[in-house]
Amino acid sequence: MIVWTLIAMIAAWAGFRLFGGYPAPEASLEVLAPREAAFLDAAAEAMFPAVGVLPISGREAELPRYVDRWLVLLPPRQKFLIRALLFLVEQATIFFPAPGPSLRRFSSLSPPAREAWLRAWGESGLGLRRLVFTSLRAVLTMGYLGHPAVLRHVHLAPLEIKTPIGPSEWLYPRAGYPPSSIEYSEADRTPPSDGTPLDLRGLLHPDYRAPEA
Amino acid sequence: MSVEAAPEAAPGAVRVYAEYDRDIHEETDVVVVGSGPSGSVVAFEIAQAGHRVVLLEEGPPLRVEDFELDASRSMARTMREAGLRATTGSVISTMQAICLGGGSVVNSAICPRPPAFVFDRWSTRFDLAQTTRADLEPHFDAVGEFLGIAPTPEAVQGQRNLLFRDGCERLGISSEPIPRNVRGCRGSGECFTGCRSHAKQSMDISYIPAAIESGAQVFTSVQVQKVRSNGSRVGGVEGQVVEPFTGRRSHRVRVDARYVVLAAGCMATPVLLQHSGSLANASGQVGRNLQFHPGVAVAGIFPEPINPQFGATQGYHSLAFLEEGFKLETLWAPAPVLAVRTPGSGAELQQRFAEISKLAVWDGIISADHSLGSVKARWRSLDPALRWNLDPRDVKTMLRALYVLSEIFFAAGAQKIMTGVRGMPDELFSLEEAEPLRSEVFPPNAMLTGGNHAFCTTRMHGDPKQGVVDEFGRCHDLDNLYIADTGIFPQCTSVNPMFTGMALARRQALQLVERL
Repeated sequence: MIVWTLIAMIAAWAGFRLFGGYPAPEASLEVLAPREAAFLDAAAEAMFPAVGVLPISGREAELPRYVDRWLVLLPPRQKFLIRALLFLVEQATIFFPAPGPSLRRFSSLSPPAREAWLRAWGESGLGLRRLVFTSLRAVLTMGYLGHPAVLRHVHLAPLEIKTPIGPSEWLYPRAGYPPSSIEYSEADRTPPSDGTPLDLRGLLHPDYRAPEA
Repeated sequence: MSVEAAPEAAPGAVRVYAEYDRDIHEETDVVVVGSGPSGSVVAFEIAQAGHRVVLLEEGPPLRVEDFELDASRSMARTMREAGLRATTGSVISTMQAICLGGGSVVNSAICPRPPAFVFDRWSTRFDLAQTTRADLEPHFDAVGEFLGIAPTPEAVQGQRNLLFRDGCERLGISSEPIPRNVRGCRGSGECFTGCRSHAKQSMDISYIPAAIESGAQVFTSVQVQKVRSNGSRVGGVEGQVVEPFTGRRSHRVRVDARYVVLAAGCMATPVLLQHSGSLANASGQVGRNLQFHPGVAVAGIFPEPINPQFGATQGYHSLAFLEEGFKLETLWAPAPVLAVRTPGSGAELQQRFAEISKLAVWDGIISADHSLGSVKARWRSLDPALRWNLDPRDVKTMLRALYVLSEIFFAAGAQKIMTGVRGMPDELFSLEEAEPLRSEVFPPNAMLTGGNHAFCTTRMHGDPKQGVVDEFGRCHDLDNLYIADTGIFPQCTSVNPMFTGMALARRQALQLVERL
């Protein structure tokens, strides 16, 4: 009886550790579970804290939403591997405990503890652990450094470019659309690019312009 | 398989996913599988000679409106396995495009001719007497003229490319503007996500429209799953329609052809042969000998902003060290991709990101002849399982390349550099600090490497026991099956391989035309 009680208690603790205590799911997320979104939010805060060097923090960059939109596009195997990565790092405090007395999962650690714990993965002597860190950092960096506010700040936001009308405009419809959607013919051809260097003071691409005040 | 005849497609047409409402059955003289640089050249030459040709491509055509400026979304839509493909053994990330035009849509358009010693080596070691540089010159010339291959103009180099030139000059290292298949480059540095100026002469806007004009039929969103064979000859290919981006399969496709040309890329062609009953593999070489040009890179921070956003994606290179086993070149990509190598985390990482406007990245591609691997069909999938091992001898060459890049950076005036080598400080402020790259031994996993040039998995060899195809790309085992992609290279090219693949493909196509 005692053994069964112990097993039940351990199972309950494991269940809570894996799935319990996470905030309610955000309606706009298509793929990420609440625990994955909470992990990404916590990891983003640790990786890109609000220190003022760049205009927004990792948390403000809304990385869970970014990663969710990306995961929608991934094939099943790659989607599984990325989600496994998130699960692994969230739960790995059991195997590589963070400083302090508790065995709390990653997203429950304090921001400085999270940052220190992640840093230890990046500096680990184990190649596989470093690879996990690099992979997680790559996922977060894709979203953070791709954010329009960050790109504008570092002067790397894409510019608006006028595309000449060429063969692809009259031969191919947009991906997934029927040929009847092609709006151009060869008669609409415009002169090809003449090689005029881009003017960096030109307009930004609409997706990257600063919101109007 | 139930195959229903589809309405006859008009000669010289491109068909897309939204048009397919039934199974497809076509008959043709030549079917070409894969619309990357080599496959497109073959399709064009066959069509231009007046023969019937069907070009099959698994991906969709992409218009500029389909390009994604965001790096991860772009990779997810244009690359197989969403751009997350990697080898086991020594981990190296590698990519393969999936769209009409293949890798030419998302590469940097680099088109150097390999030096003569590469072909001399091929000829002598692999019994390929008719594959000297002189034999291939007419084909290089023809492809070069068609695509407008020319050195990158100074006006669109941008500072991050010109600083490389300056650094090389100060050290007495030869360097030159990179020859590219580009007309009217504006220096947007966006080759990786697709050229919004249509300046890059990718296959979808160059060879493929010309092939269509000459009568080629192009079927996009068709995944070839099997080459049909009776043991001594092939009769065509079978596959299925796949939805763009999701890969969901629907209608059956069958193309009967007198000749089959596989140009699916060196990671896909062996898988297709394995899926077709270990076809063309009497030599046992299908899927073996996988080689890469593993890349190493150094990032340098200059004292003042250098506007890295502007300039040809890869505008300058140095061929001075080819015989030592590496080529040096400038590099640009979307910031999040470049930042993957940036060391650190937290505030320190953000501080480094804040310096991006002063950043240049230069890389070395290594002729890693000692590092071999394999391609195998993954269980119930057409995705390849890749295994590859980085040989310590090639690690030495990588370290040498990193040291020379460090020299060039400091000669060009860099304030600090980041080599990304584990065991070295994250940032180096002088060349003396880079000395361990010359004097110490580092393990293969000390460097983060990527390799998008892949070769040799269906290598050509004069001896049928040692190679899959002859020097004209014809399979030793099957008289009417050809392979036209970088898999047929017997060894790496030491320089970016697209141009060589196209020159070889043109020669193969002209030889095939003589047989039709």
